[in-house]
Amino acid sequence: MKANKLNRRRFLQVSGMAGAMLAVGFDSLAFGSDKSTLKMIMPEDLINGIQINPYVTISESGEVTIMAHVPELGQGIFQGIPAIIAEELGVTMEQVTIVKASASRKYGRQSIGGSRSVRSMFMPMRQLGAATREVLVQAAAKQWGVDASNCEVKEGVVYKKGSKDALPYGDLVASAAKLELPKKPTLKNKADFNIIGKATHRPDLVGKVNGSADYGIDAQTEGLLYATIERCPTLQGTVTSYDADAAKSVKGVIEVMEVTRTVYGKKNTGIAVVAETYYAATEGRKKLSAEWDNAEFSQISTESINTDMAQLAQEKGLEHFEKGDFEASKGQRGASSDIKVKTSHYRLPHVAHSCMEPMNATVHVREDNTVEVWAPSQSPQVQRQFARQLGIPDNQAEEKIKVHLPFLGGGFGRRSMNDSLEECFQISKALRKPVKLIWSREDDTTQGPFRQTSFHRMTMSFNSDNRIGLQHKVVSPAITTQSRPSNGRVPFEVMEAINTHYDFDDISVRYSEYKNQIPIHWWRSVFGSTNAFPHESFIDEMAFELKVDPLQFRKTKLKSEPRFIKVLEKLEEQSNWNEKLGENEGKGVAIVESFGSIVAHAVFLKRENGKVSMPKVVSVVDCGIYVNPDQVIAQTEGNIIYGLTAALKDAITFKNGAAQEANFDTYRMLRMNEAPRDIQVHLMENNEAPGGVGEPGLPPIAPALANAVFDLSGKRMRILPFDLQKI
Amino acid sequence: MASYKLNINSKEYTIEAEPQTPLLWAIRDEVGLTGTKYGCGIAQCGACTVHLNGNPVRSCSLPVSAIVGQSITTIEGLSEDNSHPVQKAWLDVQAPQCGYCQSGQIMSASALLEKNPSPSDEDIDQAMSGNVCRCGTYHRIRKAIHLASKEISNESK
Repeated sequence: MKANKLNRRRFLQVSGMAGAMLAVGFDSLAFGSDKSTLKMIMPEDLINGIQINPYVTISESGEVTIMAHVPELGQGIFQGIPAIIAEELGVTMEQVTIVKASASRKYGRQSIGGSRSVRSMFMPMRQLGAATREVLVQAAAKQWGVDASNCEVKEGVVYKKGSKDALPYGDLVASAAKLELPKKPTLKNKADFNIIGKATHRPDLVGKVNGSADYGIDAQTEGLLYATIERCPTLQGTVTSYDADAAKSVKGVIEVMEVTRTVYGKKNTGIAVVAETYYAATEGRKKLSAEWDNAEFSQISTESINTDMAQLAQEKGLEHFEKGDFEASKGQRGASSDIKVKTSHYRLPHVAHSCMEPMNATVHVREDNTVEVWAPSQSPQVQRQFARQLGIPDNQAEEKIKVHLPFLGGGFGRRSMNDSLEECFQISKALRKPVKLIWSREDDTTQGPFRQTSFHRMTMSFNSDNRIGLQHKVVSPAITTQSRPSNGRVPFEVMEAINTHYDFDDISVRYSEYKNQIPIHWWRSVFGSTNAFPHESFIDEMAFELKVDPLQFRKTKLKSEPRFIKVLEKLEEQSNWNEKLGENEGKGVAIVESFGSIVAHAVFLKRENGKVSMPKVVSVVDCGIYVNPDQVIAQTEGNIIYGLTAALKDAITFKNGAAQEANFDTYRMLRMNEAPRDIQVHLMENNEAPGGVGEPGLPPIAPALANAVFDLSGKRMRILPFDLQKI
Repeated sequence: MASYKLNINSKEYTIEAEPQTPLLWAIRDEVGLTGTKYGCGIAQCGACTVHLNGNPVRSCSLPVSAIVGQSITTIEGLSEDNSHPVQKAWLDVQAPQCGYCQSGQIMSASALLEKNPSPSDEDIDQAMSGNVCRCGTYHRIRKAIHLASKEISNESK
């Protein structure tokens, strides 16, 4: 179809935002570059001033620009890292313009995941900010002919102590930029922080309330084509036939081609339909009549997976942690008449990430072998990977391949796999035209990779001497061993959030790998999301058997861990834990350490007119030193909802090798009317090193909920998901 | 293929499209207003919510041929300068995280407040449960709607 395509000039008129967006702190370069020039304009090209290091540029009139170098997916890192730099640089956030970087090795590693950004960059970015401040101070000291120790910095101005002499950064930047950055700059004391630890408004949110924030799916460039991909419903089948001519008979369809998507070493074939509009591409796709050979996978079902995992749970498995002698604690230790042993089995299903922005990518491989990429990715440094496929040497990869970092409409781990970029690159490379690939929601839900399923055999032992033993046996596939053998070792990721700090006499944690063909991938809090539910639910079962309040039981058994104790005490106080509830009310608690932070939740349930609701969740977070407390609270609120969705809504189930849930009608999300109206998040104040924030709030929510269900109804929920209205 | 005149944010746009093209893709790719988002394509998530004659509708499920002559407002048309009480309240409570669903959330909330300037929590549940937020900002959205409601009633005093 002859669409009324917008040219680049009209994009800017229609949206009227090129300048305005820079002013509020993010680039307008979702718009690509003019094809009349080979120079691709990137955010870095538009910054005014003198660059002191790759992150900090200061103009002679004093404007400070700090690069946001890692992708923003909702966690607030767009502001978080620049705030850390600004703190040590000695400027206020009002003086700073934050600009989204493009992908480049000059920024170091730009990938995000594992709740790692602040944890790993807190010190390096403080050092960078402080070193930048020190060269500005040196420049001033030199000008005044005094020692740097006679200078002090306030809000972007260097002052000579004991005088009225002052030099703003803008006057110093030219000479400071010539100085070498000191390797061991002096850092501020925590007590002197003006930015870190204070709630600051996120500058990226302005564009998120007026529609101007640029996500990958919003990339626009002249002559853009649209692609959708038909895929094998059983994930790894092979294509036997399809009708390209029928698809091409749809007006606007330009090309039909096979593309490959690599998922942990497995090559999945899809059939791309490329058209002038996305609608034409989707209409063409409907006419493909693709046939697949998927015999090999037709036996895979959730039922068979569950049976296989339960079987494996009976095996001894690999040792992860052993304290005391758990096997002996079950009865071989002499007088055994008073020994009680109880075993429970827990199971969690595969689930999907379901980012609100479906997987997509935009790539323009040009005739001259230069490339422009819009990478909605948690790992956007794709230059070398693409360069190799174009015969470009590594040392020219960054010059010839430019990568924009759009805002991400959610990530949750899913966007650390660049499969949509891989597919889009192939299409554009073949056509040498700009192509935007958009996965449908159905593709996004059914194709994975998914959060792993897992099965847990939990056993407790105790006797009249108060000797207590606990065994946690984990059965699950592992992420890192999908395309290689595990060689008898416990993969590093599978034991997250299992608390071996509990002061039991005998503890045993073991693992059996369950290998199958369903691809799995990092999903918010990863194994924390599957291990904490059985673990913290079973701690509750133990407290019940021993007739102790579950919160007090945890306090008693974690007494050698002061940070856990403080979190529990704070939760006890803030949730009024010891207040007696009404007959139709229930409460549950769970505490989990993951990704370097400790989070405890108390969930409150209420039954009214036969309907169960969750009026309140109270949380306490100990993440050490934090940058923006409001973002720690926001991430914890988000973790609660994400975790409740996995606990209460739908699983991804498999039948004949294919995922059965495809869109939000069958794979339902928790909605406003089901969310707790009262969520209170309290932060611990201490001087511990920064812990993770994006994930640690998730693991304790499902067990706290299930424990509250038990308190309300006497029913122990051991299989997720469950329906709160059917308890 | 036909030519359609669309009235979006009080401006007239002429586009060429197949009659069944969802309004969503016309707004995004033909007109170039990308604040309205694709989330599910089957009117289940609300990311594509726009106002049609003041009512919130899911633009992913409305064919472009069905809305000719009607007045469409998208997130870009809510205000010139982020000054709509709902936008202000959203920023005040720092509601968005990834932000992808928020255009739709804001369009649903502004339509609610237009009809019901003082909604109860139950009214909010009813008006907003068609909009999914995967980051889990419901709690702040509720707060923001109450806040915007207060500002609207102060304005009208």
